[in-house]
Amino acid sequence: MSSLAGRPGSALWLMGAELRLYWRRGRMGPKSGLIALCVILAVWLTMTFFIFRAVGPAIPPPPLGHDPIDGLVLAGVSLTAFFIASVMVSQAILGAVEAIYTRNDLDLLLSSPLSPWTVLVVRSAAIAIGALPLYAGLLGAPVLWMAVFSSPLWFSALPALVGLAFAATGVALLIVTALFRTIGPKRTRIFAQILSALTGAALFLSIQYFNITSHQTSAMTRQQAIDGFIHLRISPDALWLTPARAMTGDIPALLMWLAACGLAFVGGVFLFSRRFVSDAAAASSMGQRKRVADTRIAVVRGGETASIVRKELRLLWRDPVLLSQIGLQLVYLIPLAIVLMRFNNSDAPGVSLQALAPALTLLSSALAGSLIWITVSAEDAPDLVASAPIAPALLERGKIMAALAPVAALMVIPLAFLIVEAPAVGGWALGGCLVSAACSALIGLWRRSPGSRRDFFRNRRQGTLMSRLGQTIVTLTLTATVGLGAYGYPWLALIPAIFAAALTGALYKPRDQRA
Amino acid sequence: MSASDYALQVSDLSKSYGGKQAVDQLGFEVKRGELYALLGPNGAGKTTTLRMIAGLLGADSGSISVFGVDARADPLAAKSMIAWLPDEPMIYDKLTGWEYLEFVAGLWGVDAKTAAARAEELLKLLGLWDNRNDRCETFSRGMKQKAVLAAALIHEPKLLMLDEPLTGLDAAASRFVKDLLRRKVEDGAAVILTTHILEVAERMADRIGIIKNGKLLIEGHLSDLQARAGAAGQSLEDVFLSLVSEPEAALQPLPAPTKAPVA
Repeated sequence: MSSLAGRPGSALWLMGAELRLYWRRGRMGPKSGLIALCVILAVWLTMTFFIFRAVGPAIPPPPLGHDPIDGLVLAGVSLTAFFIASVMVSQAILGAVEAIYTRNDLDLLLSSPLSPWTVLVVRSAAIAIGALPLYAGLLGAPVLWMAVFSSPLWFSALPALVGLAFAATGVALLIVTALFRTIGPKRTRIFAQILSALTGAALFLSIQYFNITSHQTSAMTRQQAIDGFIHLRISPDALWLTPARAMTGDIPALLMWLAACGLAFVGGVFLFSRRFVSDAAAASSMGQRKRVADTRIAVVRGGETASIVRKELRLLWRDPVLLSQIGLQLVYLIPLAIVLMRFNNSDAPGVSLQALAPALTLLSSALAGSLIWITVSAEDAPDLVASAPIAPALLERGKIMAALAPVAALMVIPLAFLIVEAPAVGGWALGGCLVSAACSALIGLWRRSPGSRRDFFRNRRQGTLMSRLGQTIVTLTLTATVGLGAYGYPWLALIPAIFAAALTGALYKPRDQRA
Repeated sequence: MSASDYALQVSDLSKSYGGKQAVDQLGFEVKRGELYALLGPNGAGKTTTLRMIAGLLGADSGSISVFGVDARADPLAAKSMIAWLPDEPMIYDKLTGWEYLEFVAGLWGVDAKTAAARAEELLKLLGLWDNRNDRCETFSRGMKQKAVLAAALIHEPKLLMLDEPLTGLDAAASRFVKDLLRRKVEDGAAVILTTHILEVAERMADRIGIIKNGKLLIEGHLSDLQARAGAAGQSLEDVFLSLVSEPEAALQPLPAPTKAPVA
């Protein structure tokens, strides 16, 4: 009766089951997902075909030579591989953490006659394979046409990429095991989340760091830096360039790379599996430690709206995973805000007050968007609140108030400073924060996507693609509006403002059609 | 019997999902001070029916009256008299037991002083007083069930609807819940429960309704059901299996009037 390949109970069969679950976890239905994927791939294949038909014959067949310029090319490939690896490690850390904390079917699998080693190898391999489709899709088409129009050796990029995914998973498993040993189960989850996000954003943050610290760098010195990079004379035979050589048709390097990746993966799974059962048990008993009896009797406070606000704020405050997610969003945005603030009317260095207005708008909109999604969509007891004798509008109002309270608390000091220092700019900033928070609230409300708080952790998604895209565009256009207004172009600011209003309006959904 | 004597009157209630008729012109009544067991095989439409009465699901057609209030026209007024307990505890892991009760009391508009007194009484009654400041994530399944039950009772509902209320409870807690429900019934509240443990329905229910494929097959006292199934003196389990496997038996006329059992 099995529709999966392989003998039931074999590793191949189990892998089939894992991949089927992976596919079905996606937001799109299996059929519509497949159609969408095929269309995107077909477009990408067609586009790259025309590009590489033109440039492919001019690309010399691999492997690359021993010139310094080849070293530079390999360094570029390495940088790309590093970026991909950092994202893969980030995804794998989350996958490994989920394996420990969200046991779901693991109890079933581990209680079956399958060997635990098989179960963990397959699940770890599924984590690695799960990280591949995006990059295989992106790189697959160019590699295919390079192989057709230049040399089949370019195909080596694909097994090298597979190796990279498995190595990244091995490294991630080692990181999670080490975290469990050093900081314990309770902190591991939060720390792994932060580490995963920072790892995934490693390259982005590095670039932002370069942007921030290069404030004093003049155009001339930047050019000198670029020239210096060209003249680094990187040796193409350097050991650290092995992955890049493996990706560019060097077969001995590819074999070495695959062996190293296999070793990293097997080593990671081995060390992870040795302590998996005890780690998972420690994680599951985390909340069950004996407590000292707390004999306080708290004061009960009433009021429908106040009850909702209090409950939402308590849940937000007590969920460190959610807080770390939101905190990280701010970490990502702060460098961007600093870059914005460096746009100055004058040539003199320093932070411009005008730029603070769009930066605050950007931050408040992003923060409000996240919090609104959590309070409005992520409800752990939807039947309880739905069965209460309160109007849905009252419930929504309470949830929105709870979501916007932290935003207001964070923004009040910088806004007050701005209003005192530059009242006109402060007015734009205040308006921007209010309007962007209101737009976030409306989009979150209209386009809500019910789920539990756990969904936020597991999927790291805020609603549908449409609502996320809409929220992002509205945030950016309102930021532009406030920026133009603060710099003294109020009429020009009308253009993005109208666009933001129209887009917000387009995202409206009547109450009876909302999820 | 006048309409005001009924806690719940359901008539011609229908609901379909994607072409499948989950509830099909269902009608039944529950009196004040009565414990009604709604039984049926898996997928019969029990939970869908209760969710429609609780105002969680819109009905396609039919009427629902809770203590004379049209629940479809004025859902908030109806909800204020109802407590709904699904089989999975509706709880917030990050709230303490005390805070959870405070929140539910707030939702039902119970004033703070009354809520505090009732919360203390219920938590002591259910053996959760010493855990009142512990987060619900530290509770066992049985403790969560008790916390949810306490929350359901904090606004003193007139109509309690419980979907598999004894799931996860140990023997002592199970007995306690059964006693508590009987006490609520004696105080004049109406209780509707669904259960697959037919002994519970047999021992506790004043009347029993059996539904299948969204239709009410039969309802009445246990003796009525036994008579319809031609299984006098047999257990509810035998009667239930007989009626569900041969629904036409439920349509046969009763041989003679029966006497209501003593609750």
